[in-house]
Amino acid sequence: MTGAAVQAPVSLLARRPEGPLGTFLFWSAVVHAVLLSLAVVYAKMHETPPLDLDQKPIRATLVRQGTPREEKLLPRIDTPPPPPVEQKAPAPVPAPEPPRTAAPSPVAPPAPPRTKQAGEKKADPRQKLLGAFEKLGKPKSEVIGAADGDPGGDSAVAEGEAYYARLRSQITRFYDVSDTIPDAERIRLTAQVALLISSSGQLDRARLAKSSGNELFDTAVLGAVKRAAPFSPPPPHLRDALQKYGVVLMFRP
Amino acid sequence: MRTLVLSLLVCPLAALAQAPVLEISGANFRPMPIGVPAPQALNDAARTVSPEFDEAFFFDCSAAGIFQVLDRKSYLADAREGFTASTITFSRWADVGAEALVKVQLSVDGRDVRGEMRLFTVSSGKEDLRMVHVEPLDRPRRLAHFFADALYKHFTREPGPFLSHMAFVRKVGANKDVYLGDWDGKRAQPVAQGSINLLPVVGPQGDSVAYTSFRSGHPALYLQRPGGTPVTLVNTGAMVTGASFSPDGRRLAFSMSQGEGAQIYVADANGANPQPLTDTPYFINSSPTWSPDGKRIAFVSTRGGTPQLYVLTVANPTEVRRLTFQGNYNQTPDWSPRGDLIAFTARDERNAFDLFTVNVETGKVNRLTQDQGNNEEPSFAPNGRLLVFSSDRTGSSMLWVMTADGQNQKMLPMDKGNFSTPDWGP
Repeated sequence: MTGAAVQAPVSLLARRPEGPLGTFLFWSAVVHAVLLSLAVVYAKMHETPPLDLDQKPIRATLVRQGTPREEKLLPRIDTPPPPPVEQKAPAPVPAPEPPRTAAPSPVAPPAPPRTKQAGEKKADPRQKLLGAFEKLGKPKSEVIGAADGDPGGDSAVAEGEAYYARLRSQITRFYDVSDTIPDAERIRLTAQVALLISSSGQLDRARLAKSSGNELFDTAVLGAVKRAAPFSPPPPHLRDALQKYGVVLMFRP
Repeated sequence: MRTLVLSLLVCPLAALAQAPVLEISGANFRPMPIGVPAPQALNDAARTVSPEFDEAFFFDCSAAGIFQVLDRKSYLADAREGFTASTITFSRWADVGAEALVKVQLSVDGRDVRGEMRLFTVSSGKEDLRMVHVEPLDRPRRLAHFFADALYKHFTREPGPFLSHMAFVRKVGANKDVYLGDWDGKRAQPVAQGSINLLPVVGPQGDSVAYTSFRSGHPALYLQRPGGTPVTLVNTGAMVTGASFSPDGRRLAFSMSQGEGAQIYVADANGANPQPLTDTPYFINSSPTWSPDGKRIAFVSTRGGTPQLYVLTVANPTEVRRLTFQGNYNQTPDWSPRGDLIAFTARDERNAFDLFTVNVETGKVNRLTQDQGNNEEPSFAPNGRLLVFSSDRTGSSMLWVMTADGQNQKMLPMDKGNFSTPDWGP
């Protein structure tokens, strides 16, 4: 054998002595960790609230820049009347249930008489309903917000309020009444519609609990409820009550 | 004791059964979508009068302001669909958005045209109104107006305006002719032609017109029926304008020039016994219009420096109240038969003439027209729900109709011409 010793091949996986590469890797890990932490902190600080699609939109009117209109000048219309063009009919839509629209009467069979008393002015009926519901003997573990037992301030009531507000808002959007009803009659019109809402928000039943005496108005309010359905699903603590006893809507123009 | 126990047991159960009550208000009042298909002609003769009937009936319904007459192109129902509830496919009408459906059948019998109208509620398929009416064969438009009035009254419980009349001026060459026609300007007959005839006003019975004419060389006030001879109401040699009959038809107000000014007078309906109501020698007082109760008169006066609207009490003419304070050129007032509003023409700061209403009690001014040419000379329908006026928005001066709040503006279906100063009377 000659002088030069042949070195045995070194495995790539073999442990190497500590050197510049190890230091680099260490600091790289540290920097990454710091950057990730900063990113998490930044995201937390700039977190956007969850999007609530049912939230009532805030309407803002943009005011033009300029001087206010002199009082002595004649008024101007902000939104001028529509141009005198032919009024287009709404586009025909396919009728999923044609016979229903021509049915003799959309009024459902009479409900138990107890709902007829619902229109009377008493202490907040919602609170009564909720309070009563909480005492129905359900297992305590299923009652939401009943531990405190405060009908005026617990979260369950607040949730109910929000649900009813959404329900009202949803129906009001479809609350179209014919202009043919005389002014003098409009003042006196009041109709009540009783409806049952399923746990998924479907309209189980809607019936005219109290007629206004004006067929057009009665048809309009029933139509508004039916067009507004389906509603958003009721909160858990209202589901049974809305399905069994429903809610009464008192319509006034 | 037993009652007490029962009450204690039953009351909580009753409370449990109560459903919460939500109150909903803020209805969106909008014109009722209505289907108005072409009338069905039952015989050949009826087919000849059907188009004329249809044009008048469709326009009446469209202009009424309480209906949204659906576009016929959108109708899904079979054109040969029946006339009774059992033969109508209401779901097809519901699909195009109709809430009401009105159908008419026409038949001609000898010299008469017979019409039958039926109104249905689409949602229930219920027949709400059925009416039969007969008119002479040459008056299918009147039959249409009769049915439109009945329809209007059925819904609003107020009389419809479609059987009333309108007088207007048509400029032909250098002449200005006065016409009296149906409310929509159709079937108009000449009253005064071949001179300068101005400011017509429909007489109390709806069959004559009072107007100012220069036919005798100087202006005078006349009353005349179409095809009749003119009856002189006031002829003093002075300029007499702005005739206005009191609501009971017994008195006549007008403006008569005196020197540099003009004063308001009230006389008997035939022009006798004129009495001055204003006394402002150097100012012009003109365009009187009566309140519905006949106790007050609104008019234009320059006594404040610019033409503005004023109201005086007829029994005590010195009791004068200025009504408008906005704008500097307000004219041609017309007091609503409902009593609350006075419509008038005003020139705004852009020098455009537009229509406004002023609330008689509050003085609040509302604008009805804007940025659509010049709009002038408003006149209320006898029921106070609609206004007719002249507008040059399409180039020539035509007559238009709209609701009293300025909505649903439509041009009257008159032949092209140069029309002005409409007056909607009984």
